[in-house]
Amino acid sequence: MIRRHPSPPLTPVQVAWLGALLASAQWPLWSHLLIWNAVAGAALVVARVALPPKWRALTGHRRWLLPLLALAAALGIRTELGYFLARDPCVQFLYLLVGIKFIEARDARDGTLLICLALFLSLTQFFYLQTITAALSAVPVLLALGGTLASLRSGIAAAASDWRAQLGATTRLILQGVPIAALLFLIFPRLAGPLWGSPTETGARSGLSDSMRPGSISELSLSDAVAFRVDFNGSPPPQAQRYWRGPVLSRFDGHEWRAVYKLLPGRFVSRQVRPIEYTVTLEPHGKAWLFALEHPSGLPRSPTGDPLAPTSNDIAYLTYDQQLVAKAAVAQAIRYTQRSSLRDSYPGTDDNPRESLQLPLGNPRTLAFAKELRGRVDSDRAYVRAVLDWFHNEPFVYTLSPPLIEQEPVDGFLFDSRRGFCEHYAGAFTLLLRAAGIPARVVTGYQGGEMNPDGDYMIVRQSDAHAWAETLLDGQWQRFDPTAAVAPSRIERGLGAALPAGELVPYFARLEMTWIKSLRLRWDAVNYQWQRGVVGFNLERQRDLLRDFGFEGARPWQIVAVFAGAIFIWGVLLLGAAQLRRSGVDAEVALWNALCRRLARSGLARAPEEGPLAYTRRAGRRWPQWAGVLARIGQRYAELHYGPGDPKREQKLKELKTGIEALPRSRTLNKASRSANVVTAPPETIE
Amino acid sequence: MTTLGIAGLQTQARSWRQRVRQLVWRLAPGDLDRIVLRHSRIYILPTPRGAALLATLATMLLTAMNYALSLGFALTFLVGGMVAAALLATFRNMAGLAVAPLGAGEAFAGGDLEFNLSLASGSRQRIGITVAGRQGLPNSVDLAPGATRPIAISIPAPKRGHLGLGRISLSSDFPFGIWRAWAYVHFPLTGTVFPAPEAGAPPLPPGHHGSYVGRSSRLADTELAGLRDYERGDAQNRIAWKAVARGAGWYSKQFEGTGGGGVLELHWVELPVGIDTETGLSRFTAWILSAERAALPFSLHIPGTVLRTGQGAGHRRAALTALAVFPPASAR
Repeated sequence: MIRRHPSPPLTPVQVAWLGALLASAQWPLWSHLLIWNAVAGAALVVARVALPPKWRALTGHRRWLLPLLALAAALGIRTELGYFLARDPCVQFLYLLVGIKFIEARDARDGTLLICLALFLSLTQFFYLQTITAALSAVPVLLALGGTLASLRSGIAAAASDWRAQLGATTRLILQGVPIAALLFLIFPRLAGPLWGSPTETGARSGLSDSMRPGSISELSLSDAVAFRVDFNGSPPPQAQRYWRGPVLSRFDGHEWRAVYKLLPGRFVSRQVRPIEYTVTLEPHGKAWLFALEHPSGLPRSPTGDPLAPTSNDIAYLTYDQQLVAKAAVAQAIRYTQRSSLRDSYPGTDDNPRESLQLPLGNPRTLAFAKELRGRVDSDRAYVRAVLDWFHNEPFVYTLSPPLIEQEPVDGFLFDSRRGFCEHYAGAFTLLLRAAGIPARVVTGYQGGEMNPDGDYMIVRQSDAHAWAETLLDGQWQRFDPTAAVAPSRIERGLGAALPAGELVPYFARLEMTWIKSLRLRWDAVNYQWQRGVVGFNLERQRDLLRDFGFEGARPWQIVAVFAGAIFIWGVLLLGAAQLRRSGVDAEVALWNALCRRLARSGLARAPEEGPLAYTRRAGRRWPQWAGVLARIGQRYAELHYGPGDPKREQKLKELKTGIEALPRSRTLNKASRSANVVTAPPETIE
Repeated sequence: MTTLGIAGLQTQARSWRQRVRQLVWRLAPGDLDRIVLRHSRIYILPTPRGAALLATLATMLLTAMNYALSLGFALTFLVGGMVAAALLATFRNMAGLAVAPLGAGEAFAGGDLEFNLSLASGSRQRIGITVAGRQGLPNSVDLAPGATRPIAISIPAPKRGHLGLGRISLSSDFPFGIWRAWAYVHFPLTGTVFPAPEAGAPPLPPGHHGSYVGRSSRLADTELAGLRDYERGDAQNRIAWKAVARGAGWYSKQFEGTGGGGVLELHWVELPVGIDTETGLSRFTAWILSAERAALPFSLHIPGTVLRTGQGAGHRRAALTALAVFPPASAR
């Protein structure tokens, strides 16, 4: 109808709905955007809805203004982020673009474009966050989408006061679509890798890095963010043995420890100690390493895969320095099942120990002290013991806020400030060993972890980040933790127990169990289930699900067939089978036909040209005790079928039905009339 | 024999194909009575807005796949489910709707011919049902549950003759405007288009056989001569309404001079020589209308049709219809 004509202009109701849609698509992105962009995009939407039309006319006369604004925004984003053709800048630009387009939107066609843009925009929030709250924040988008579509359809006719009814109607349609959505979510094929490009983003994520300088781990320790969660297959090991091995750092330049990458495969420790098995759900950290208890005795595998074929879907490999490195950066939460033997040493491989002896220039006091101390003992092992004793006996303080030392930081720490966090102790310890000619390196990772009483799983947080050392003694790389020599409670009971009173300890690292903490742990348990069940639903989980339902190795067409069948059942249930009858008759006709069939069986067939009133009157003469009922039936049927539309139609239909049901079955009907001693009337003339 | 066999096969094949074409497009007026729209008749396709939405969903799906966004899948599928549910809602809005032919009106060529249909909603509320003919403005209605209402479709009538309603479409894009459901219905409704009355036609011709008397006596029409029994076709302004109101029965007033020899006779042969047929028909139309206004009985003599003297709406319609379908099929 209107299609051939130019698109009709937007009405205020439509603008209001569009504004609601855009705002609900925009707000979940707020915390991920440049501040000026977030404010400008939202302000444009509010301006279009709230400002009087004469203000908007300003842009109407200057059509170049908005493209110029868009260009300026693009340049601004390019300047602030340093690049443009990537995911994040595009999200930023799209966010602003919907606002700009909304300001100049004139007709229904612009409305269509805005709907599409808003819908895509609301998807982009999941690039950053896939929590339960993020999922819930998409609900207003769905509701507003329905309202906007409906208002664009009906044009001016829709009154603003109808918005509540419209929300109800939209909710009904959303709920009706949920079965389809759930089924698609479960069976739509997931990909093993990206279609194009790499989904990894350069955005900074908190977590360990491949370098360590004074302050880097203590900074991380201030964060309550979850690093990973662990389900133990059996009871978890004691806290003092929970060393989660991460990046190993061998190169030291006097200030900073760095990892050395070499393509040398590692060897797994023997399984003399019975390995324990656990499943790690690792939060995305944007780097390649995976975490395992020291020391891994096998490759990580998919948690649901066949345990007898651990290499069938290997996702990582082991380096010569016992690091597990994933084949791709961990851009999404991943789950893997890992086995470890809880030992504090592993056999040294044939890698070049010289890199573990490398000494930078500087820190002369440290080097001199090491030489002097080594001269006092007779073996390397005794020297290590002596260094740890020295840490223990000298007044070293374990603190999250050590002073920053610019020149010769190790010298300054060991002999002047004597205040440090684990990275200071691990770094200084390793340097002292190397100065004495003993190969040593720094290992970073996490130490500890807290069991969540609500979910029977362990949470390892960034505040559990730790650094320790390992040294090659008698052909074995042996773990030593100098922090334990200074503050043994850090290893035994965690950060909260080890720090002196008055230090700012991250909330979850504190020891006392408040109700807020327990509530937040419960919330974490819910979130963890969400992460595992919904967000972490991937190719493997999908395969397992299909296997559980007996579709193992099902061909695509079989799955499509099942889906089509489900869609059909869904449609039939929603429409009601009545809609699918080939030729529909009205309800009253069906009832009337039933009556005619029954009376015909009793010996009184309706003549083809006989109307309902005449027929029921004739039947009433044949069965006089039912004459009243029959007459009413005829009357009702005539009203329903031939009369004008009737607001009381449903009620009359019910009357018709009860009337027909009140009549006895055909045999009883005739018996009743015989017992009433009524002579069967001769064939009557038709009136 | 062989040729015959092949010919028979071809006929059968064509008729089969024709039957499918009729089922799909309803090009022939095959719907004789009330039609209840069912799934066999209802088509659904996305509107342009729906197509844009589906394209957006496809893009979202690709994005969710590439970035392995589980919640991206969830959002896409939720919107997809809503779109699918909207499809069913659009279908439900149409299914069970009953449409019946009521009748066709009359028009003069160049005007609009109005056809009347009746829409019955059945047990469900119907929103935004648009009824459209081949041409002319579509008509959009809402129907309450159990409601029946007439709906008129006007179709431009440029030429005299019979004009069929042709195939009409009933459509709706309720609730979201992303799906459009439509059904074709083809009733054998035909209306008559009379020739357009000639603009600036000459005055009524003098009647034969004392038509001057007729004209003069028509001036004395005010003198009531008496009543006679009403006959079908008598002009409404001649009915003795007072008698009807009293319940005395139906009578027509007889005036002095009417029904006598003073009648208007319209003869085709007396049109000016060289006048073309259409102009002649238009002139006759104009004259018949003038005669009707003047309450003057007339007779019509055109090739193939002779209408005896008479007056009233029925007579007028018969005369105009004869002009509309000129030349009559028998004379062709």
